[in-house]
Amino acid sequence: MRAGFSIRTKLLMVGLLLLLIPWMSYVYVRDMKTFLLSGQENALSLTSRAVATILHDRPELFTEDRIITPDDSDENEVYALPLPAYINLNGDLNDWGDQANQAITYRPETDSMGDTEVTSISVESVLGYRGNFIYSMFKVTDDSVVFRQRGFLRVNTADHIRLTLQPPDRPEQRFTIIARESGRMSIYLMDKDWQYPITGKPNYDLAAELGLTDEGYNVELRIPRFMMSSETRIKLQVVDVDDPDSLEIEALVTTTPKNGNDDFSRLLVKSPEIAKILKALDRSDARIWVFDTQKRPTAVVGNIISESDYTKGIKPSSNGEVWATLSYYYTNTLQTIFSYIIEQPSADLKDLNASVQQRNDAIIERALAGEISTARQPSLDQRGSILMSAHPIYLGDEIPGVVVVEQSTNQVLGQQKEMLENVISVTLLVLVTVATALLLFASRLTLRIRRLRNATETAIDRDGRIVNQKLLAEAKSGDEIGDLSRSVSNMLERLSQYTSYLRGLPDTLAHEVSNPLNVVNSSLHNLSEEIPDSANSKYMERAKNGVNRIGIILRNLTEAANLEQAMQSETREVVDLKELIESYVDGYNFSNPEQSFEIVINSSRLYVEIAPDYIAQALDKLVDNAIDFAAPGTAIVFKARRLDNFAQIDVINQGSRLPEGMAERIFEPLVSLGRKDAQKMSLGMGLYIVKLIASFHGGDVLARNLLSSDGVIFSLSLPIYNAHFGE
Amino acid sequence: MARRVAIVEDDFDQRENFRDALQKSGYEVDTYKNRPEALAGMRADMPDLAILDIMLENEMDGGFDLCRDLRALSPTIPIIFLTARDTDIDRVSGLRLDAWDYLTKPLNMQFLSVRINSLFRIVDSLAQPASDEKDNDTLKIDDLEINENSMSIRWKGEELSLTLTEFWLIESMARHPGHVKTYENMMQITRQSYVERNTINGYIRRIRNKFKEIDPEFKNIQTVFGVGYKWNKSK
Repeated sequence: MRAGFSIRTKLLMVGLLLLLIPWMSYVYVRDMKTFLLSGQENALSLTSRAVATILHDRPELFTEDRIITPDDSDENEVYALPLPAYINLNGDLNDWGDQANQAITYRPETDSMGDTEVTSISVESVLGYRGNFIYSMFKVTDDSVVFRQRGFLRVNTADHIRLTLQPPDRPEQRFTIIARESGRMSIYLMDKDWQYPITGKPNYDLAAELGLTDEGYNVELRIPRFMMSSETRIKLQVVDVDDPDSLEIEALVTTTPKNGNDDFSRLLVKSPEIAKILKALDRSDARIWVFDTQKRPTAVVGNIISESDYTKGIKPSSNGEVWATLSYYYTNTLQTIFSYIIEQPSADLKDLNASVQQRNDAIIERALAGEISTARQPSLDQRGSILMSAHPIYLGDEIPGVVVVEQSTNQVLGQQKEMLENVISVTLLVLVTVATALLLFASRLTLRIRRLRNATETAIDRDGRIVNQKLLAEAKSGDEIGDLSRSVSNMLERLSQYTSYLRGLPDTLAHEVSNPLNVVNSSLHNLSEEIPDSANSKYMERAKNGVNRIGIILRNLTEAANLEQAMQSETREVVDLKELIESYVDGYNFSNPEQSFEIVINSSRLYVEIAPDYIAQALDKLVDNAIDFAAPGTAIVFKARRLDNFAQIDVINQGSRLPEGMAERIFEPLVSLGRKDAQKMSLGMGLYIVKLIASFHGGDVLARNLLSSDGVIFSLSLPIYNAHFGE
Repeated sequence: MARRVAIVEDDFDQRENFRDALQKSGYEVDTYKNRPEALAGMRADMPDLAILDIMLENEMDGGFDLCRDLRALSPTIPIIFLTARDTDIDRVSGLRLDAWDYLTKPLNMQFLSVRINSLFRIVDSLAQPASDEKDNDTLKIDDLEINENSMSIRWKGEELSLTLTEFWLIESMARHPGHVKTYENMMQITRQSYVERNTINGYIRRIRNKFKEIDPEFKNIQTVFGVGYKWNKSK
């Protein structure tokens, strides 16, 4: 068998072409993403233009004029007062101006603490706003200020402030604002029990500062407006811890109104006119900013942190269903693959206020110069990108402000991801299915072809004889392999017909030649009777000689066929090969004294079950052959020995070597090497007869050249008679 | 009166050559070219001896069929098969039909008349009443009795059914017990033109089998590998 790829491998390699499908999809989806993004950019640009158009020529929008418009509602309400200036967070309440005087004094709710003892804490608090920030000040009178201690994970073991935001459509957010020392305070998103932060990382959207006073301490808190929609409700509490050893909460002062069980309040802030207009444009997935000429944000609505339905698969419990487990791992594997090939939409954009301003600088600059510009920048966490579009607002020829619309590309990325996921999942499934099918198909095909090959190979034995005329393998299949099997059968059948014709040919030929030969023979006889002179003629002699030779040829030709028949009825006997060879050589020497023999037999006895006459006949042929080719004066060597379960007789002669390739063919009928003597026939039947006799005895005969010197060795092997060893 | 020999042979040349040769040897010869003619002719006028070819015109086994019919007409007539077919099966079927000999072509014509002569001698001796002369011509070696006249052989008192060739072979070996008869000798003895060793082996095999039918312990014919055979005296 020549080396090469199997059909299975080849088919699988072809099957790998299916991998082009996901690649194709990837290219397609990538192009689509570009297209979608440019569409998004256009839409964003239009939005910014639309917003800017609304704001054109309305000078009042950029003045600082505000009116509080109380809301008629049953809900608790708390008012944020307009502030004269941005508050400098430093614990110093001077920049609150007059508004500080409007602070209300709160005291702990006695009933909540379970005792009527007058506690040492009171809080003066007020809410205010400026620009996009809401501020809250706390002036706490406390005889014992307890800071957060180092090494304490819990954050409810010191004086701190609690901020609770209750958005209408989301769970409450709890923040603890706490200080280790005077100065900037740490703010954490808290669990339900206010004991531990949900994440160890502080929140930087909020900011607060604590300053110590003689009576206690002051706190200034800043809340960006985007954290609170108009529907978001708020609760603020001051928590007092007095004893630095027990660290127990002594008092809880709520600084927002309370009505029965409802302790949340709506924060009423006077929206600037501009914000009112923008409110109408509020979009869940985009943020609209208006900046003034100083690049300060005048108004902002919307949120680019869109609710993402991007959820990681939950690992099923250990005793869960197999399918669930499978699909979990499948999804996870896919996620891993995707994370390498496409941009992922981010679950949370770290969208820091300060940075937002910074980021917008360039395009605000350009917009203020009167240019409409768009930009795409990576979000700060580098995981998505944010599209921005800026448009100038015109007041006559002046530009008092700029509209900036921001939108994250998350949506497009999400769509892209979803599409790719679908395509790749389907492709993988198809690929696996097709590969399995191909593998099965190829295996079956290979198996069938292999079976056919084996059947074909065993149909003809080592000596080229046809053993089976009909291949059973695949003979009934309807496809091409079946056809192949049938045509091989057909071929074998015809070949065997031809072979049997060839095998019968010598016999038929001999038979046909016999009759005319007999005519010649009897005519010669009659001629010499009729004309006595002719009997003495040398030509009569030669003619008879010729007839004789033809007769011998005929006998030679029919010998093999006759032998095959004769052997069928032969009875075998157990004979010692050593004895047989010795007596054979004796006998041969008797009739051919001029030829010398050598016998080399080491083992004592070699029992074989044979028909001795035929073995002797085979030896005759081998010896005749050896004598024909032996160099003059050299002896013919007989060797006999045991090789495994066979007795091997070697007949060795010195002399010419077998030509290349002849060693295999020499035992075929009608194959002969040339002879020295033209008068002696060589039909090449002799060694064929040896082969027949060897096969009949379940043995074999081989010829090869001597390794050491010029000469040929013929080895006849016969199975050892087993009864002698079994018993 | 000259003996009459019938030849059934579909080949004109051979038929005529046989006729000429046999007439020269002093026999009357009838020739037939196919089975129906031969059967009709011989039924009308039974010859003393018949030489049959096996393949007759288009009948593959015409000779065998004819032999069967002749046997029905005359159980004693000597029949010789003369054919180009030289297979064991043919020999065995021929001899099973009680043919006296089975010869293959090409045939040495001199030997043919020798054979015919011998066969007629057997016929003659069989025709004579079993009498005292039995012992005169009988060669006795141990259990083997060879009657030269009737060309019959007995082993331990039982007669073997032998062809002429087989008789000659046994006789030649037994006459000199312990001496090897080489293949070349034996080829001469068969009085056929070309005989292979294989054919000799076949003769010996059949001879041994015939002895073994009478005496399963028969071992007196010994093979001398590469040379020939010899008759051993019983120990």
